[in-house]
Amino acid sequence: MRTLRQFFALLGVSLSGLALRPWPALTIVIGVTCAVGVLVSMLAMGSGARRQEVSYAHDDLVAVAEVGQRPLFGNISRDDVTAVEDSPYIRRDRDGRPIVVRELMIPIESRRRGTGARIFTPLIGVTPNITAYQPQMRFTAGRMFRSGMHELAVSNTCTRLLSGFEIGDRRSIRGMPWTVVGHFGADDEGQCTMFADVNALMSAFARDTYGGLAVRLRSPADFAALSAALKADPAVHLFAQRQRTVMADSFKGLNSLLDFASYFVGTIMAIGGTLGAINSLYAIVDSRRRELATLRAIGFRPGAIVASTLCESMLLALVGALIGAALAWMFFSGLAASPFGYSFKLDVTPALVLIGVMWALIMGLIGGLLPAARAARVSVTAALRAV
Amino acid sequence: MKYLPLIWMGLWRKRGRTVLIFLQVAVAFTLFGVLQGLKTGAEHAIAAARADLLIVHSRLNFGIPLPIGLVEQIRSVPGVAEAIPVDLAPATYQKPDQRAVLVAIRPDPGWLSAFTYTISPAYVRAFRATRTGVLVNADLAKQYGWKVGDRIPLKTSVMQRNGSSDWTFDMVGTFTDSDIAGGGRNILVNYDYMNEARVGGKDTVTHFTVRITDPRAAAAVSDAIDARFANSSNETRSESVREMAQENLQSIGDLEFLIRAVVAAVLAALLFATATMMTQSVRERTSEIAVLKTVGFTNGAVFALTLAESAVICVMAGGMGLAMATLAFPYASTFVHGISMPWNIVILGLVSALAVALISAAVPAALAARLEVVAALAER
Repeated sequence: MRTLRQFFALLGVSLSGLALRPWPALTIVIGVTCAVGVLVSMLAMGSGARRQEVSYAHDDLVAVAEVGQRPLFGNISRDDVTAVEDSPYIRRDRDGRPIVVRELMIPIESRRRGTGARIFTPLIGVTPNITAYQPQMRFTAGRMFRSGMHELAVSNTCTRLLSGFEIGDRRSIRGMPWTVVGHFGADDEGQCTMFADVNALMSAFARDTYGGLAVRLRSPADFAALSAALKADPAVHLFAQRQRTVMADSFKGLNSLLDFASYFVGTIMAIGGTLGAINSLYAIVDSRRRELATLRAIGFRPGAIVASTLCESMLLALVGALIGAALAWMFFSGLAASPFGYSFKLDVTPALVLIGVMWALIMGLIGGLLPAARAARVSVTAALRAV
Repeated sequence: MKYLPLIWMGLWRKRGRTVLIFLQVAVAFTLFGVLQGLKTGAEHAIAAARADLLIVHSRLNFGIPLPIGLVEQIRSVPGVAEAIPVDLAPATYQKPDQRAVLVAIRPDPGWLSAFTYTISPAYVRAFRATRTGVLVNADLAKQYGWKVGDRIPLKTSVMQRNGSSDWTFDMVGTFTDSDIAGGGRNILVNYDYMNEARVGGKDTVTHFTVRITDPRAAAAVSDAIDARFANSSNETRSESVREMAQENLQSIGDLEFLIRAVVAAVLAALLFATATMMTQSVRERTSEIAVLKTVGFTNGAVFALTLAESAVICVMAGGMGLAMATLAFPYASTFVHGISMPWNIVILGLVSALAVALISAAVPAALAARLEVVAALAER
């Protein structure tokens, strides 16, 4: 009990003493601010990517692909499509037709807004029932493409990232003009998605097979049944995969890269910050040698001194962590990043702030250990003799 | 020079602090080296990409087939040294996510000069002699555990005459690729074999790889080739390999703002840390500095000594950090194929370390220089 009282007394004295010599304390705070700020903003990229990945993938959405091929890269004949449409596990739209979207992916060339650099973006040919497959699809301007026409409907992300996708713009695809007729997307995030009529696209590219199918199940629980039915049918060469899995696969590389980069950089900066904290705390402890010796002489216990020094270090680190997280949130949250052809917004979530705070507390704890031990070991006679 | 021992003694006055600040600076410059190295390494890789190679593909879209017969017309364009037809086809090995790219070429004499591949002559001979033979990128072969002599079954979208789209090739050798524009999954196939065995797309290719005699004329030759096919049923578009490398490394450019922010944060934190250290150090040595001045050191000399102390430790630690970055770089660069640590980053790093040292020590050094001898000694 006495130790605890001493601890609070010491902590109060230490903290009020910081104002007299602000630089060492400021160094700790700034070191931690930088480390945590960088860690949180880099992790924010990963969480942004992950949120986008799950936002689209409801459990009842399933991609049907050719066995041995990635979704959208197969050759699926019209007979195969009929076999899937006849399956009882598929949800029906208002007119009683099965929600099976026939798809064909064609990479088309676009130019980035601003830099003008060329990138290839996927143009997905779909059947008009895509609106039943993705009921959350909302047009913010214009309309859906019409069957058989050379028309494009693009997500707002495309217009934000790429030039030449305003309504009425003509894009040359396979030497023919295709007109942009609609913009969709609730808000302007997510990957750039472009839709065109699949049959118009197939005739333009002289293809007679679809690349893949997207189906909506009656209920998410029907996935296993559909999967088994496709496997059992010797006439078709198809397999089903949840869209969630497909998305996770396509984001796997990006996510592992972002995570690795975040923690690699975050760890290195934390090591640097901890070293700086040790140094500064040593300086703080050294400047207080006389006080500490006096306190020891009048009966303060070493345990209370260690605890108060550690606590001081962690408090300073906490302040740094909060400033760092706040800076990351101010500067980076909501900022659009588009590395490696993906596009998403950086997302500073409370969970990330918590990670940053934990990180900082560990830095403060490790940084405080050695200086705290030295503070407790101050030799009363030697320190007071120096007065 | 004669002050060197003095600087050295000053540094080791407080051993613990010096070691800590040394480590901190070293860690910061490890990060600096890796991050800046990635950015600049990408720029170097672009500059190193071969400027004498052009890719001629369909104007409509990359991947739309062109008749192989165009090769003669391309060869007749002035400035063209070599034109090799190439047909690309995606393939998978056993699992859908184990990808490979079939690169069907005709091993005409001189074909190798139009590619960025390094292949041993024995493999080149074996490749030409074996119709079903393939050369596999060494990285890919290692990844899937393929050895020379193996028979490799691949699933493709190319239908064979026997009704199957599964192809089996004989691996006759490996190659390495100096190009950074992907290509890590390439498998070289004899075009003639593939062309005869397939059902559709006969006598077509996806592009031609063209080597030009003068790299400076890349734009002019590109235009001349495209002009030759203008308004024909097979309009072409020619691009230099370097241009494509640039687009490929765009991803790093996108992360540039982040790299810049991180490096700025690292240097800012470091500036504070070294400034605090030097201030602390000067304050502790008040009486020693006063003694130095008493024995005849000028204000300027004291100023310079303090700066030098900070510079020595920062540059040494920076050098060590950059050395560690160079060692760590191969691991960091696995994500960006084929780039190496550029030397000018090491120099830039050392200059930055010196700048950090001088800026952070400026205030403490000025304090030390302005120290009043009488007052300082009186404090004792």
